Amino acid sequence: MTLAALTLACHQPAPPAADLATVPWDTVLARARGTTVTWRMWRGDPAINAYVDQWVAPRLRQRFGVTLEAVEGQGPEIENQLQIEHEAGARGTADLIWINGETFHNLRQADLLAGPWAGRLPNAVYVDSASPIIRRDFEQDPAGYESPWGTVQFALIYDSSRTPSPPRSYEELRRWILRHPGRFTHDQSFTGVTFLKQLMYSLGGGVERFQGGFDERTYLEGSARVWEWLEGVRPALWRGGAAYPGGVAELHRLFVNGEVDFTMSYNHNEAVTKVRQGVFPAAARALLLRDGTLANAHYLGIPTNAPNPAGAMVAADFLLSPEAQLEKARPEIWADGTVLAPSRLPAKWAAQFAALARDPRALPRDSLRKYARPEVVPEYHERIAADWRARIRRRDR
Amino acid sequence: MRGGGWAAALVATPVAVGVTYSLAAATGLAGYGAGGFTLDRVERVLGEAAVWESFLWTVRTAALATLIAGAAAVAAAVGFRGSSALDRTARALAVLPLPVPHLIAATTAVLVLGQSGLLSRIAASAGWLAGPADMPALVYDRGGIGLILMLGWKEFPFLALVAFSVLATRGAALEDTARSLGAGPWQRFRRITWPVLWRGLAPAAVAVFAFAAGSYEAAALLAPSDPQALPVLTLERYTDPDLARRGDAFVLTLLALALAAGAVLLHEWLRHRVERLDR
Repeated sequence: MTLAALTLACHQPAPPAADLATVPWDTVLARARGTTVTWRMWRGDPAINAYVDQWVAPRLRQRFGVTLEAVEGQGPEIENQLQIEHEAGARGTADLIWINGETFHNLRQADLLAGPWAGRLPNAVYVDSASPIIRRDFEQDPAGYESPWGTVQFALIYDSSRTPSPPRSYEELRRWILRHPGRFTHDQSFTGVTFLKQLMYSLGGGVERFQGGFDERTYLEGSARVWEWLEGVRPALWRGGAAYPGGVAELHRLFVNGEVDFTMSYNHNEAVTKVRQGVFPAAARALLLRDGTLANAHYLGIPTNAPNPAGAMVAADFLLSPEAQLEKARPEIWADGTVLAPSRLPAKWAAQFAALARDPRALPRDSLRKYARPEVVPEYHERIAADWRARIRRRDR
Repeated sequence: MRGGGWAAALVATPVAVGVTYSLAAATGLAGYGAGGFTLDRVERVLGEAAVWESFLWTVRTAALATLIAGAAAVAAAVGFRGSSALDRTARALAVLPLPVPHLIAATTAVLVLGQSGLLSRIAASAGWLAGPADMPALVYDRGGIGLILMLGWKEFPFLALVAFSVLATRGAALEDTARSLGAGPWQRFRRITWPVLWRGLAPAAVAVFAFAAGSYEAAALLAPSDPQALPVLTLERYTDPDLARRGDAFVLTLLALALAAGAVLLHEWLRHRVERLDR
């Protein structure tokens, strides 16, 4: 009875997310003026927070009369919250959410994303829609239900003074691990699973073999090679492969404290930003494995129950503008990859992107492009995560 | 009494809502993919060996931490019960860590006990260790030593505070009477101090056990990846990449609730039995 009462108390009229596809842009701007946009996003990086709170927010207020309020929440938390709000029939608590891959997949599956709206943003004309990384989100068509915001690529991180000649491929890494027992591990969460997925593609003949939807046989063959590879190096992993750090933050700590010689990141530029912040040693560098490393784009979505979808669209459009994308790409700000195609930009902006100062510690753009591999359907991620937990992490007793 | 009833309802309502939702989500009546009542999920989760390993590991860890904190609290209460300056200072020092948040305590434990932590560095500078790997694993270790020590340390001041007040309010008069009747120090401890202490401490110890078994942050930072601490396993399922597995977390929540309820019932039963024997 209590539950029923709560549910009733939360019931509100349907939020105005229905007509996003058709309303004229001027009407969107007019509706947005004077409103507040609540943006649920990962708040774990001070550099990103500073860009959002100190650069984006004041400009949104000045130019569009939109107040931006960024709040904490990522991936599964966002999904669970929207699911519970949906069950309670409640008006949403977020207008804009920062998502990609599995989160997009799960939210679409549960029909919790509003759209299509992304193609309507005036700045969408500049998007690099030819890029396989941006056009498809884990092989899914965004279909206007999310708007691209930035691109990242997976990289290993090492200390160039401690490890002057690091391994450059999975095979070299295997031999390195065996020669340096106890000095390598990966975490149990998203980044670690991405490392395993990449290993699966590399051992299984390239990511192309895994494209085109989930295939049980392809998965079983590919994952069998991963388990074999892991069993081969397990005794030489940190703690003999009996324990793994919970998340990548713990892995960073082990790296910084000299317990292991590598950490990793699904952001090719994290080595540079963490050195700047003084978190990583000055000689920390990122490296790309020659087998190819996964790259993906991250996006912005609007929940179906968003109280202020017009404000969210205005914010998403500003975040997609050449000006905001350029600022975000500066190495001293965030160094997030742009989703805009220089060839589509007005000459003035294209020149500024070309002239972006490169941090000498950062990975060269050519190498990033050369080794980038797209993500495939999220089922591979789900399966390898579940099977790694059951087969490798949990040892037979 | 009426006011007390309202207060109790106020406290109990959120719990009742949580339990109701967990029951519904565990049995296919709520959550993603809910399609009508079924016990499939409950059977599948409770049929996993990994779940029971996690459960037993958590019970053992919480019990040992409670035992250590309880024993230390009894020792402190009995050892420093006088009114001398030393006793009063010792009692004040014992409760000093009380306001330290658990997250800070757990982080500190990592910094002190980790293989690259303070202890390891002291040992290395003294020449006892060649590198971090030589330090015995006290964090993420299968025995849960780091977690037990941290929880024991963190719960000790709470139990000590209870023990001090139990002895001060209930012990002294009875002991004086016993002494005047000719009881020796050992007899006084066995027949008066100890029974008074444990009965006063037991409810607090049950609370400590339930808290230690359910606390997430300490386990997330200090517990091994295999077996997993129950709260860590619960959150892992709740955030599983596969939406269909997230409901597992509600079965695990109910399991944790059963554990805490079991501890309370066991305490009630023991107290009843002992009181009957006393009469």
